[in-house]
Amino acid sequence: MDKAYLIQLAASTAAVSVLVGLAAWAKIARPVGPLNLARAQELLSEEFPGRSLDQVWVATDGAGALARSGGMALVLCRVGDGFAARQIPWAQAVSSSFRNGRLRIDLSDISAPVATISLPSWPPKDLAA
Amino acid sequence: MKDFNPVQLATPIFIVTIILEIVLARLGKAKANYEARDTAVSLGMGLFSGAAGLLTAGLVVASTLWVYEHRLFEIPMTAIWAWAAIFLLEDLTYYWFHRLSHERRFWWAAHVNHHTSQHYNLSTALRQTWTGGVAGTWALWLPLAFLGFPPAMIAIQKGISLVYQYWIHTEAIRRMPKWFEAVFNTPSHHRVHHARNPRYLDSNYAGILIIWDRLFGTFQPELDEEPCRYGTVKNLATFNILRVAFHEWIGMAADVVRHPRHALGYIFGRPGWSHDGSRDTSVTLKAAWRQQQARAAPEPEAGT
Ligand SMILES: [Zn+2]
Ligand SMILES: [Zn+2]
Repeated sequence: MDKAYLIQLAASTAAVSVLVGLAAWAKIARPVGPLNLARAQELLSEEFPGRSLDQVWVATDGAGALARSGGMALVLCRVGDGFAARQIPWAQAVSSSFRNGRLRIDLSDISAPVATISLPSWPPKDLAA
Repeated sequence: MKDFNPVQLATPIFIVTIILEIVLARLGKAKANYEARDTAVSLGMGLFSGAAGLLTAGLVVASTLWVYEHRLFEIPMTAIWAWAAIFLLEDLTYYWFHRLSHERRFWWAAHVNHHTSQHYNLSTALRQTWTGGVAGTWALWLPLAFLGFPPAMIAIQKGISLVYQYWIHTEAIRRMPKWFEAVFNTPSHHRVHHARNPRYLDSNYAGILIIWDRLFGTFQPELDEEPCRYGTVKNLATFNILRVAFHEWIGMAADVVRHPRHALGYIFGRPGWSHDGSRDTSVTLKAAWRQQQARAAPEPEAGT
């Protein structure tokens, strides 16, 4: 690798840092308030059109939600100022590790490895059969 | 002339205009949303995409030169008509490269990177792939060398197209004048291309001229009643740049290992294709959306 190329790379890296810093300073992310039930339902039906939402649990910090849809669990989690959604078998969601009020769901997806959802308890006691 | 590199020349403009977009948005003078980690991934992808391109640059240059040695015609780099011709032919090549990159998983694995942001701002334009060279789509430009366009001319036109496509990655510009929207790719047209709303999927593959989409039936105008939601059908739940760069390749390899008998489908099928139909593709998503629309708006009664 020649010197000119390395200098160019260093200058570009510096420029990138400045731009990222500026973006953080500007505070111009999308306003994304904590989820409530209505918003969670809206987002879930946007992500999974036509699917039933048998029961929905919204994270206590509003940063995610979990829904049961037949044999599947629909998972919604906040990513930056947006959301990402995945589905996994319901049984897998039920047996996810729950510690200190946080449910850690293994999504088994390279582009969405885990979702962490804060809940008062898990598995839910009022589980519909 | 042979050292003329439009992308390198435009880099200071990239930096200044991103600063401008952020500052204007902060002042409430322009529509733009930036999220710092998202911006970091976009710019990081752009920063290293050039370095990643160097890995296959030798092969690309050698192939292009070899094909050029066997060219059909002698095309002078100094003729205006030659530039007009390469402008059109390169843009047509880009259209088909881009369409292939969306319709077949192997090439989508390289191109998906550009679409992984849930944002649409000037930094998104720089979210460029690291694996384009490996995907081999550069071979689609070889026929231009075979026709007789000098390799330097092809490289310059490719650079011009890339730089053109930079400025259209913005929400700050709503619509360009009507005549411009009719002929050229614009922020409005390309917003639709980056949208994950089912009705907007698989449209507006244009580079510089939108006429190719109109010609080949993939044009979709931006509709005021349907604001664009950006990203991919299954948005990423991570800002890890390595996952952003390689997730589709890894996902594809995993599918092939799990279902070797269906390897061809998992590699060359549409993105989302599965042997048991358990996953969604843009085709199934669009069909479901159309069905939903039909149910929501039944045929109007006669006489009303
Ligand atoms: Zn694309
Ligand atoms: Zn784009």
